[in-house]
Amino acid sequence: MKKVNALILTGFGLNCDNETAHAFELAGAKSQKIHINALVSGKIKLEDFHILAFGGGFSWGDDHGAGVIQALKLKDHIGSDLLSFVAQGKLIIGICNGFQALVNLGLLPGLDNDYTKRTVSVTFNDCGNFRDQWVHLTANLQSPCVFTKDIQMADYPVRHGEGKFIADREVVDTLLANNQVVFKYADIQGIPAKGAFPLNPNGSMEDIAGICDPTGRIFGLMPHPEAYNHFTNHPDWTRKAQLLKREGKILDQEMTIGIKLFKNGIDYIKDSFF
Amino acid sequence: MICCIEIALKKELRDAEGTALIKKADSYFGINIQEARCINIVTIESDLDHLQRGVVKDEILTNPVTQVSSLKPLNIGFHWCVWIGFRPGVKDNPGATAMEAVTDHLGKNFGPDEGIYTSKRYCLKGDTLVRKDVEKLASELLSNTIIQQFKIFSIDEWNKDIGADVKPAKVILDHTPCFEVINIESDEQLAKISDERSLALNPRDIPVIRDYFLDSKVIESRKKVGLSEPTDLELEYISQARSDHCNHNTFQGIFRYKDASNNEEVVENSLFKTYIQEPTLKLKDKKDWVVSVLWDNAGVGRFDGENNYVVTGETHNSPSNMEAYGGAITGIVGVYRDPMGTGLGSKLFMGSFGYCVGDINYNGPLKPPLHPRRLLDGVIEGVKDGGNKSGVPTTFGQTLFNPGYMGKSLVFVTALGIMPNQVKGKPSHEKKTSPGELIIMSGGRVGKDGIHGVTASSESYSENTPAGHVQIGDPYTQKKMHDFLLICRDEGLIPFITDNGGGGLSSSIGESAMISNGCVVFLDRVPLKYEGLDMWEIWISESQERMTIAVKPENLDRFMELSAEHEVESTVIGEYTDTGKLHIKYEDETCAYVDMDLLDKGFPSWEFDATWLSPETRGLTEPVISSPSDFNKLLLSMLERPNLSSKEWIIRQYDHEVQGGSVIKPLVGVKHNIPSDASVTRPVLTSSKGLAFSQSLLPWYSKIDAYHMMACTIDEAVRRVMAVGGNFNHIGGLDNFCWPNIGFDPKKNPDGTFKAAQLVRACRALKEACEKYEIPLLSGKDSMYVDGHLVGEFGERVKVSALETVQFSATSVIDDISKCVTMDPKVSGDLVYVLGVTTNELGASEYYEAFDKTGLNVPHVDFDKFKVVYKAVQTAIENELVASCHAVGRGGLGVHLSYMAMAGGLGLEINLKDLPMNESRGSLLSETLLFSESAGRFIVTVSPENKNFFEKLFKGMAASCVGFVTDLHDHLKILALNKEILIELSMEELEKAFNKTFGDMI
Repeated sequence: MKKVNALILTGFGLNCDNETAHAFELAGAKSQKIHINALVSGKIKLEDFHILAFGGGFSWGDDHGAGVIQALKLKDHIGSDLLSFVAQGKLIIGICNGFQALVNLGLLPGLDNDYTKRTVSVTFNDCGNFRDQWVHLTANLQSPCVFTKDIQMADYPVRHGEGKFIADREVVDTLLANNQVVFKYADIQGIPAKGAFPLNPNGSMEDIAGICDPTGRIFGLMPHPEAYNHFTNHPDWTRKAQLLKREGKILDQEMTIGIKLFKNGIDYIKDSFF
Repeated sequence: MICCIEIALKKELRDAEGTALIKKADSYFGINIQEARCINIVTIESDLDHLQRGVVKDEILTNPVTQVSSLKPLNIGFHWCVWIGFRPGVKDNPGATAMEAVTDHLGKNFGPDEGIYTSKRYCLKGDTLVRKDVEKLASELLSNTIIQQFKIFSIDEWNKDIGADVKPAKVILDHTPCFEVINIESDEQLAKISDERSLALNPRDIPVIRDYFLDSKVIESRKKVGLSEPTDLELEYISQARSDHCNHNTFQGIFRYKDASNNEEVVENSLFKTYIQEPTLKLKDKKDWVVSVLWDNAGVGRFDGENNYVVTGETHNSPSNMEAYGGAITGIVGVYRDPMGTGLGSKLFMGSFGYCVGDINYNGPLKPPLHPRRLLDGVIEGVKDGGNKSGVPTTFGQTLFNPGYMGKSLVFVTALGIMPNQVKGKPSHEKKTSPGELIIMSGGRVGKDGIHGVTASSESYSENTPAGHVQIGDPYTQKKMHDFLLICRDEGLIPFITDNGGGGLSSSIGESAMISNGCVVFLDRVPLKYEGLDMWEIWISESQERMTIAVKPENLDRFMELSAEHEVESTVIGEYTDTGKLHIKYEDETCAYVDMDLLDKGFPSWEFDATWLSPETRGLTEPVISSPSDFNKLLLSMLERPNLSSKEWIIRQYDHEVQGGSVIKPLVGVKHNIPSDASVTRPVLTSSKGLAFSQSLLPWYSKIDAYHMMACTIDEAVRRVMAVGGNFNHIGGLDNFCWPNIGFDPKKNPDGTFKAAQLVRACRALKEACEKYEIPLLSGKDSMYVDGHLVGEFGERVKVSALETVQFSATSVIDDISKCVTMDPKVSGDLVYVLGVTTNELGASEYYEAFDKTGLNVPHVDFDKFKVVYKAVQTAIENELVASCHAVGRGGLGVHLSYMAMAGGLGLEINLKDLPMNESRGSLLSETLLFSESAGRFIVTVSPENKNFFEKLFKGMAASCVGFVTDLHDHLKILALNKEILIELSMEELEKAFNKTFGDMI
C-alpha cells in the first residue's frame, strides 16, 4: 500500500526529530529525518513529500529570537518550494520551535492568502523562565485544522521559554473569528484558563496554544503531541491504571491522543491524494 | 567599520527579563527599581555598507511584531543605564550565530579582523536609586567581572548619539607563536620553573623527568629531530598526564591507615585497585549484562538484545565557584561529550544534576567568590541552557544545602547514552587507533581556554586580554557535532573517538596514540579562535566542544562531506603511527619528541597518612533533647527546611521529556510536584524496556563516619530504583567522590590524616556494598580539593571545607515499563505497609540538625538483611501487588509519609505502634520513630485484595501494615505508641509548609 511521506527537519540544534519521526511512523506514515542543508543543497526535494514537520528544539540556539534564523534560512533558500508545497494542498505542522519558525516565516497565520507576512509572535513566557509541564488543551471544534479532527481535548507537555502568543488585537480577533485558533490552554474540564498560571503556562493572549492557517492545512502549536507517543508518557498513567484495575479494567494502551493528531494528518493526505 | 544595532521589546510588551531583575533586586538587596527595560546590542565590525547593515537589522535581528530597533542608541528613558558586555575571548554564542546568519543571508564572509559581538544594556527607573545601588546590581547580579565588564551611566552622563559606546570584544595577542627549551640542570631548577610556569609538577616526579631527558639514548634520539633539553610543550604534556585530574593519583596512591581505637595498621596500596577495580571486574565476569567498564570515557551496560547504554558522571566544582553559569554550562555540555566519546560513540538520552551549596540566606562575615544564592541561580541556569539546548532530558536532580559547601560548592552532572551494540558487524564498545589513520579534530576552535585553570585568574587584565580561564559551553555547536558523529559512526567511518576535556589535545591524542604506539601532530593545522597562541597552549588548551577522531585515509572524503553538510568544522591535524614516539611539529619544526611509554618510567605513587579516630574517641555522643510536645508544628517546620522542602522550581526549568521517552518523571503525584524516587526513561522508543535511574547524596553522615555515609548513600540509591520497579539483578553504579584535601600539613591541613582515613573507610564501604548488592561500578570520578579559603570580617582567611561527599547513581533496566510504580497512594481503602526496621538512628539526621546537633547513632546498613526485602519488593511490583512504593530517606518516616500524603492527595491514618522496630540501638520515642533515618525502609500501599499475597511474600521479613489510605478526609493522622493522636495535619497545611521556603520561585 502507498505510504504517506513525512519529512522531519533536523540539524542546527533541532532536537525532537527522532520522536516526531517515531510518532509519524506509529500513525502510519513513512517518515524521513532530513537535514535542513539537504533541502538547501537540493539533494532532497520537498515535492517528494506530503507532510513537512518543523519539530522542536533550539535551532541556532534560539539566539536572536526562537525560530528566527531557521525561518530566514529556509525563506532564503527554499522559500518558493515551501509556497508551492502549500499551494499543492500538502500539510505543514510546526511544534514548539517549529511553530516559532512558522510564524517567523509568515506561513502562519496566512491571513489574506499571504504566506510570507509576520503578523503574530511567540515570545518570552510571562513567568520569566523556561518551563516543562503538562497542560490541558481544549480544541476548537469549528476549526478547519485537519490535524485536530475529532479531538476535543488533549493533554500534552509544554517545554519552552518562549511560548507566549501575541499579536495585535485585530489580528487575534480575526484568528478567533476565522476559527484559526485551534488549541487553547484550559483546565481539566476543558474550560479555557483565562490567563491563569500555570494552566496557561506562558501568558498567551486568549490562552492560545496553537493556530492554523485559513485552510487548516498549516498548523503550529507550542505543546508537544509527539511527546505523548506512548501511554506511559502521561504524568497520571500509573494512577489511572491503578484506578481502572480496581474496576477490572485496563488502561488503554493503544493510540494516544498525541499519535491521533498525526494520524489525522495522514488520513487527510490519504483522502486527498491517494 | 564598527556599528551597533540596538534591539528592544516594544514598549507595551512585558519585559520578562526586566521584571525578573526588579524582583531579584528587591529580594536580594532590598533595592527598589520601578521599571527595568532590557536592550540587546549587536556590535558589528565589518565592511558591510549602510544598506547591508539595515538589512541585518531589519531582516535578521528585529521581529516586526514584538521589537523595535535602531542603528543608533534607542531612546528609552532611565535614571540609570547599565551596560554589560563580555570580556574579550569569552565565548559569545549569540555573536557566533549572528555571524552564521549574516553569512548565510548576505553571502558575506567574515575576515580575520571582522566579527559580531553581543552585549546588553538595562534602562532602570527608580526615584530612590543611587550609583552605589546600581554598582551593586551591575557587579553582584547582572555581571561577573571574571567574564564580563560593565559601564554605568546616569542620565546626565548619557550621550544619546554614542550611547554605551560599545567596542568589539576581540582578542588581540600580538604575539609570534614560539616554544622554549627548559633548563633542567638540577632538581631545584626544574622545581623553580614548575612554580613559575604553573606546571604543578609533583616534587617526587621531578627526578624521574630529569633522568629521562638526561638519558644518553634519549638525548641521542632527540638530537636527530633538533631537540636537546625538554621543551615547554613536553613538560606541559607530562604535567597534564601526571595531574590528579588525569591520573587519579589519590586513588592510585599509598595510604598508611591506622585505627587508633583497635590499633589496626595497614598499608593500602591502591584504593582504586582494591575497592573499585577488583570487585567490579569480578562482577563483570558474573553478570553478562556488564559490557565495558573501567577504561573508556564511560561504562557500558546491556540495554536489550540490540542496544547498550552508557553512563558517566562528572563534577565541575572549581569553575562553577568562580563563574556559576559558565562553570555549570561547561560542566553539563562537557559531561555530554563523554558518552559521545565512548566506544564508537553513543547518542545521549538523559542527564541529571546534583547541587551542593551553602546557606542561600547566609549573611555572616565570610566572603565566598559568589554568594551561595547567586551561585545557585547561576548553576541552575547554566545546566538549563546546557541541557535543554543539547536536546537531552534532565530527568533527575537534587539540591542540598550545608554551610561546608560555601568553601566550595559542588556541581555534579551525569550523562547517559545509548548505542547499537554492533556497528557494521563489530562490537560498538571496542575502539582502537592504528598506524596510518588520520587524527581529526572536530567541533569548536582552540583559544586560551582553561589553560592552567584558575591560576590564570590572578593575571592582570588589559582591554584585549582573553578571559579564557573560565569558559562558557556552547551546546549549539556540540549538538550539531553530536548529530554529525552519529551518522559517521553508523556509516562505519569511525574506528576511534574520544572527547577533548581536561588536558585538551594533550590528553586525547596522548592517550589515543598509546594504542597505535605513536603519532605525529601538526599544531599549525589546528584551527584557532585567534592568532598568537604558543605551541604548548594549543596542545593543552581546554577549549570546549571538540572531539578527537581517527579516520582511515580512504574514508576521509566521506567524513568531510558529512562534516560540511552538518556545518561542523573538522580538520586533519596529524596521523597515528607506530614509531613509539609522540612527535609534535609546528610547520617544519619539532617541538616535542618523547617516547610513548615515557609515562611508565617509574613515576612514584603519592603517599598519605591516614589516621582514623572513631566517633566515640572524638567525643561524639547523643544529644540531650527531651520529647517535643507539639508534633504538628515540628513536622511542619521540618517540611520547611531547605533540604526537605520543594525544589519544583529547579526541576521545571529543565526539559525532562524531550526525546519522548519519559515514563516516570522527576515530579510525581496528583499535583505533579513531589520528587520521585527515580526516573524511568525509554531510550529506545520501539521497546517496552525502560532505564530506571536514581541518585543519592547523604554527606551529613560523614560528620560521624564516612563509612556509613557511603553505605547509606548506596543503599538509598538502590532502594530508589527498586521503588519504581527496578531489577535487583541489574544495578549499575556510578561513584562521584568529592573530598576535602587529604594531604596532611601541620599548618595548612592539620586534619588531613583524618580526612584521608575517612576516604579509606568510604572506599571500604563502597566495596562491601558493591559486593553484597552485586553492583559493578560502571564509571566513577573524583574531585579531591573541595575546600575554600574565605575572607572574613577582619581580613583573615578562614578555611571552609565541604563534608566528605559521594554522589552515588544507580541504573537498572526494567523489562516491562507498564509495571512501573510511582510513590503516590492512589486508592482509598488501600493498606499502608512499612518495610524495614526503624531503630534509634538519629545521628547526623535532619532532626538533630534542626537543633544544631550531630549525635552518634548514624544509620547502619545491613546489606544481607536488606537485600532479601529488596528482592521481595521487586517480586511484588512485577506481580502488580503494590499500588505505590516509596523509599524512606532524609527526614525519616514523618517527612516521607507527608510526601506520600501530598503526592496522593488522600488522607493517611498511621499507627506508630505497628511499625517494625527494635531497640537495639537505643530507646524509641515518638520523635525517634518519626525522624530516625534508618536505612533499608520503604512505605508501600497495597489493595486489600492483595493483602494475603503481599504478606505471604514478605513473611519472615520486617514488614507490617501500619495504617490505611482514606478519602474521608485529606489529613495525615499519626497515632503515637500510646495510641493518642500525635499528628493531625491537613493537606493544605502540609503543602503550605512544603512550599514555604522556595514555593514562590519559578
